[in-house]
Amino acid sequence: MSRLAALVCLGLLAWSRAVAASVDFKLVDARGHPVPDAVVSLVPLDPAAPATAASRRPVEIEQVKQEFLPYVTPVLVGTTVSFPNRDTEQHHVYSLSDAKKFEFPLYKPGMAEKVVFDRPGVVAIGCNVHDWMIAYVVVLETPLFAKSDDDGAARVADVPPGHYRAEVWQPRLDKPATREVTIAADSPAPLAFTLPLKRDLRIHRPVESGGGYK
Amino acid sequence: MSVFRLFRFRRLSIRLLVILLGLIFAALATTQKLVSHYNDQTAREHAATNLDLGARVYQEAARQRIENLAGNASLMSGDYTVRQLLLKPEIDRQTLGSLLRSYTQRINSPVIALLDPKGDLLANSDETMANENVGPFQYLIEHAGDDPPETSGFSYLNGRLHVLVVVPLYAPIPHVAAWFGLAFPIDRAFAEKIKDISRLEVTFVSIDDVTRPRVLATTLDASAAGLVAQSVVANLRAPERIKTLDLPGGRYVTLFKPQDMLAEAPVTVVLQRPLSVELAAAREVENYIMLISLAALAVATLAALWIARGISQPVQQLAAHTRVVAAGDYATRLHLDRVDELGQLATAFNAMSEGLAERDRVRDLLDKNVSPEVAAQLMRDGGAALGGEEREVTILFSDLRGFTTLSEKLPPRELLTLLNRYLDRMSAAIEAHGGVIDKFIGDAIMALFGAPVAQSDAADRALAAALAMERALVGLNAELAAEGRPPLGIGVGVNTARVVAGNIGSHRRLNYSVIGDGVNVASRLESLTRTVAYRTNIVTSAATVAACRRTSSPPSGLLSPDSSLLIPTFRPLGPVRVKGRAEPVEIFAVG
Repeated sequence: MSRLAALVCLGLLAWSRAVAASVDFKLVDARGHPVPDAVVSLVPLDPAAPATAASRRPVEIEQVKQEFLPYVTPVLVGTTVSFPNRDTEQHHVYSLSDAKKFEFPLYKPGMAEKVVFDRPGVVAIGCNVHDWMIAYVVVLETPLFAKSDDDGAARVADVPPGHYRAEVWQPRLDKPATREVTIAADSPAPLAFTLPLKRDLRIHRPVESGGGYK
Repeated sequence: MSVFRLFRFRRLSIRLLVILLGLIFAALATTQKLVSHYNDQTAREHAATNLDLGARVYQEAARQRIENLAGNASLMSGDYTVRQLLLKPEIDRQTLGSLLRSYTQRINSPVIALLDPKGDLLANSDETMANENVGPFQYLIEHAGDDPPETSGFSYLNGRLHVLVVVPLYAPIPHVAAWFGLAFPIDRAFAEKIKDISRLEVTFVSIDDVTRPRVLATTLDASAAGLVAQSVVANLRAPERIKTLDLPGGRYVTLFKPQDMLAEAPVTVVLQRPLSVELAAAREVENYIMLISLAALAVATLAALWIARGISQPVQQLAAHTRVVAAGDYATRLHLDRVDELGQLATAFNAMSEGLAERDRVRDLLDKNVSPEVAAQLMRDGGAALGGEEREVTILFSDLRGFTTLSEKLPPRELLTLLNRYLDRMSAAIEAHGGVIDKFIGDAIMALFGAPVAQSDAADRALAAALAMERALVGLNAELAAEGRPPLGIGVGVNTARVVAGNIGSHRRLNYSVIGDGVNVASRLESLTRTVAYRTNIVTSAATVAACRRTSSPPSGLLSPDSSLLIPTFRPLGPVRVKGRAEPVEIFAVG
């Protein structure tokens, strides 16, 4: 009986894999340039599909050359993020965002503190010692998300057919861009977004200092 | 006319002085007025420039304050303590408030508020302030941009005008976790600070109620500030950027600068500079000009006096000299050592004196050689009237009896003296009656009545003269008897006839005389007096008697006062044949 059940489960899984689609996002700004570091997500408007265990894999935001790496990290609610200090100086990692307030006062090299992000929302993380250091953790309630690469492309895999709200978040957006979409079983056309980005307000660091952004 | 009458002076020098000084004074006064006007205008312009500068100083002062506050707030926002307090799930507002109060001392900002990203008040350094009266901060947050998000503006906090700034608290940049709201009041201290830099009077006036403008802060005293507030209202009706205001402290050049407010009742910044300060240098120059003007006026007065004297003195000399000449002194000469018009006048005057003297000399000579009447006629008409004209003239001829015997007895010199004595008396008698001695022919006299000057009573005068001669001779004979000399006798013939009167002679030498038959008759009548049977010294013709009777009134006027008129009586002597005349002449003895 338990075998049968396992088989059924496997069969269901196989079916679902067989019918699930990959959704491609293509993100450009107003001038047609690709937009990296954007978090794309699909919020199911039908009764929610069960989250996969893989979505809550622990994630790492390291501090290297006085920068957070990566800059933007999307996670599913409940994900644990560790902040290893791989620099030679101390940091003071903190967040005053409502979604998660925390701090690691004077946080020595080699340490790797962990934070569980248990409420959805955007958490801006800074360092009290280094004003220019910034990282965003985007805490999502849906496991269907991805981050755009330098080409502005993001792919959300294993999307069951259904009705969704597609959301795009980026630090330079005033508010997330959203669109309701219906995903069919066959490979759907990529979702193209043109994003009204604001000027990048991060602090410029000289490139020779090892960090900064272009 | 009456105005011109004012400028009629008895003395030329005063008139000259008044005119000269008047003109100079007018010129100086005009200059002074113009300079003063120009200085005033320049001072106003200068003041306006200063006011514009002052307006910039004010803006710069406000901007610098804002910048300072923003800078301090930025530092504050990095403060660990604030973040610590904000990290707590439940914010400890009391502690946060006390922290903000300690910040007010650190950064010297009287008001510091902390607001959440939506603008709700989290904590405030001033405990009296609640969410309701931090509206201006909320307004600024609402209108804050991204780059830079610091925003500032003017508004009221707790009823007082403030400069406000909102500065974000980043967590991290550019993520705004909260806002700092900072404010400093626009008060007297601020106004004084602007005054220190700009040297302008500064007044902030609120005109939320036009009927009651409110002075928010000022460097002036209360009464002056009140007037300034009124002027702001007045300026609303007739807008003008720069005006001149009269305040208790003097005149002020005033600039009105409306202050942008955060959607509230307008506030006007009034900047003022005393005109007297601006004019101080110009007034000094004006005083110098005034002194120079007065000095110039004094010098001009002296110069005018000198010039006036230079004119009036010689004029007075001329006037005095005129009086000398009028008195008959032609010998004195006027000496003016000048080459100008007055010098020419003096020269002309001297020439005139010389001319007058010359005329006098000529007249003198004429008087001696010619009878005064002929001389006068000659002087008057220059001899033109003596050309020759036919007129009725009474001619008198006289002769001295026994002269031939006398000339044999006396030496010639004594004879001449005696003759002249005789002729002098006879001439006097003739001239006293208006007769004119035509000529002396040895001891004989020919005299004219009615020529060259016409006389209506010429015949009467001639006969009276003849009688006077007779009487004069009686007097002379009495003198001669006393001297032991024999008496003299006389014969006179008088005839009236139409003759030709005029200048007779060569072109070099002329004699005024009369010619005609009547002259010869007169001479013949004189000869007839020798006829003893007639028993008379004076014989005249019927024509003379007729002429004599024609005149109704006795002769008068020309007689000298002491000689009484002698009325002739006529005794007919019958007709007589006169040599050279066909008709016999009726003759009369005159007594």
